[in-house]
Amino acid sequence: MMPGILKSAIAIFRRDIKKFLSNPFIIMMTLLMPIMYLVVFGNAMGGTLTHIPVGVVQEVPPYNDTPLFTSAAYQLNHISQGSNNDAEKLLDVTVYTDEVQAKQDLANGKISAVVVFPASVSNDNAVRLYVDSSDSVTPSLVEEAVTSVLQGLGANNPITVDKIYGDIKYIQFFGVGVIMMAIFSATSFGGGLALIRDRENGIHEGYLVTPIKRSSIVVGIIASGTVRAFVAGFTIFWIDLLITGIILQSFQDFLLVLLVIFIACVGVTSLVVSFASRFSAQQEYQSVIVFLNLILFMTSGAFYPVTGMPGWLRWITTINPEYYGVNALRSIILRNQGLNVIGIDLIALLIFSTAMIILGVVTYRRTLE
Amino acid sequence: MPLFGLKKDPVPAAPAFPEPPTGTSVSPFGNPQVRQVSTDGSEIIRIEHLSKVFKSKIKTVIAVNDVSFEVKRGEIFGLLGSNGAGKSTLIRILTTLLAPTSGQAFVNNYDITRDPESIRAIIGVCPQNYTSDLELTAYDNLEFYGKLQNVPDSTLPARIMELLTMAGLADRAYMPVATFSGGMKRKLEIVRAFIHRPLILFLDEPTIGLDPEARREVWQQIMMLNRENTTIILTTHYMDEAEKLCGRIAFVERGKLIALDTMENLRKLIPAGDLIEISIDHMDPLAEEEIRTLDLVNAVTVVEHNVTISATNGSQAILSILGVFDKYRIPVISISIRSPSLEDIFIYLTGKGLDNGSGEENDAAGPGGRRRGP
Repeated sequence: MMPGILKSAIAIFRRDIKKFLSNPFIIMMTLLMPIMYLVVFGNAMGGTLTHIPVGVVQEVPPYNDTPLFTSAAYQLNHISQGSNNDAEKLLDVTVYTDEVQAKQDLANGKISAVVVFPASVSNDNAVRLYVDSSDSVTPSLVEEAVTSVLQGLGANNPITVDKIYGDIKYIQFFGVGVIMMAIFSATSFGGGLALIRDRENGIHEGYLVTPIKRSSIVVGIIASGTVRAFVAGFTIFWIDLLITGIILQSFQDFLLVLLVIFIACVGVTSLVVSFASRFSAQQEYQSVIVFLNLILFMTSGAFYPVTGMPGWLRWITTINPEYYGVNALRSIILRNQGLNVIGIDLIALLIFSTAMIILGVVTYRRTLE
Repeated sequence: MPLFGLKKDPVPAAPAFPEPPTGTSVSPFGNPQVRQVSTDGSEIIRIEHLSKVFKSKIKTVIAVNDVSFEVKRGEIFGLLGSNGAGKSTLIRILTTLLAPTSGQAFVNNYDITRDPESIRAIIGVCPQNYTSDLELTAYDNLEFYGKLQNVPDSTLPARIMELLTMAGLADRAYMPVATFSGGMKRKLEIVRAFIHRPLILFLDEPTIGLDPEARREVWQQIMMLNRENTTIILTTHYMDEAEKLCGRIAFVERGKLIALDTMENLRKLIPAGDLIEISIDHMDPLAEEEIRTLDLVNAVTVVEHNVTISATNGSQAILSILGVFDKYRIPVISISIRSPSLEDIFIYLTGKGLDNGSGEENDAAGPGGRRRGP
């Protein structure tokens, strides 16, 4: 009895090992996966934040800079987190002459905080700190920096902190990113896989002999993938609002959210489909998609502000449609910002989508080879 | 003299059978019918020295090897060959799914490499594998292909119902194809290929895996479509199918065209007479030699315990043949006499049966086959 069981167990074992070894691509991907987790996740999550843009401005009157303001601005701009002073400095300080202008730049996301210094060193005159509280990490870093600089200068002024978007919890910060993740999942299992399944099952042999153009195939699949992704993204958006307790400020914000989700769906779906147009086996495609999902989600800024990432990872963010999607959604949902702020994200997404659709059409194999 | 040798072979320098086909000749017999060149415009497909080579790290396979022939407008043309002979590759090249490695082919005067778009508009293809979307209904599947083939929206619904009726599937129009039997799926795919009334219909192994009744229904359907003046090109490895349907038949073996003619003319390739099949207990080489020298006997093939003898007059020859077996004390188990079938012609031309594996793996004699020249 026992040898029989053993014999078949060994047969199963041998068969599985042979199948495993027959596909070097999958072996490579399984090894690459944990390494990528280490490199990407490790760098994207715990990175040291540097170069946080901060505006400083002095209350008027007086109309000339006080010694407190000059020294504080200088010192804030030279807080270093390592031996290499310039590359690893914490804050990039911009000096404003007009408080209104500084606050406007803060509201438009150009800077992360505004520090308003009073005319003199005293107990009564507070240093006012306005922070972009939609960012989960930078406000406390800026506050710490201002406190230590004031102490170093011997100024005993109290600090008042104004979180311009109120108290935003991490789950609210993170929740926006999950919408992008839903879009990616829906589209990788929808659009991309549909194309590969047709190819793998030989169904495409039926329609490739018709006068259909490859642009029609690619655009048609991107369109259907976009609809699926939109349904997923929209559903997760509502669930996100319910779970994290965010309240949208206006109906216009709601429409903008729909617009951003839709354009992000086009961007992500065209990326996935143009990827899929080169693959002919589901297994290989899926291992690549898991990998792609990791890279795009990690570098999207969903978990942690992208300013904390090393340069090479930030370079990936600039070609990552999820980054622009997350950024635009946060601007609307958490900061109540409008088209003037998210316009650049939408343009980036549209350029990206167009490039990917062209790439998908060009690389799609019209023949069976 | 070749086995089953042609007594009035029109080409004097015919290589001895069963040598495997050599590099350049189309037919080992140099049959003039193989390379018909007509200039009267009756041909709808013209293939000239077409070759297709698949290269991989492990090996190079010549799937189609210097094939030239023509298909006439309105005929049912059969491509016959064993599995792996190159039939599907040839069909895929003609339907623009694969590019040839060398050579040219014209479909309705369009060059397959320069003008694939025009060809796709005038052909209908039913691939060997099922390519319907199983989750969708029969109607949806036909509608999808109708739209890809630019059938006008105004006539499409009526056309779909017409085709479904033709296929006997009208009552199942709105059922998912996943619930269909193999025969129903096949019939659906054949009418699907016909939705835009193509000039040419390609059917790759249309009855593979179907039961006898489903096969007969598919045959009827094919004949019905041919009546609408459609040229039909079908590949098959079933002799009866080719015999029943095809006006002209091309034998393909190991990527090469080895014969092309009407059934009637192909029959003439085998010397007139009957085939005598005798099962015996064992064979004695001396007995075999003696049978060969008999007057009415043209050729002898021995495969294990079966002897196949081609004789000018079977019923007369049998007496002297049995005399030889008696002389050598070889017990005879069974005897049958019949006229040659398409399969016999195929075996005669290729040296092997149709169901015997792929062309690239077996030698010309076929597995277990043993051929002896006189």
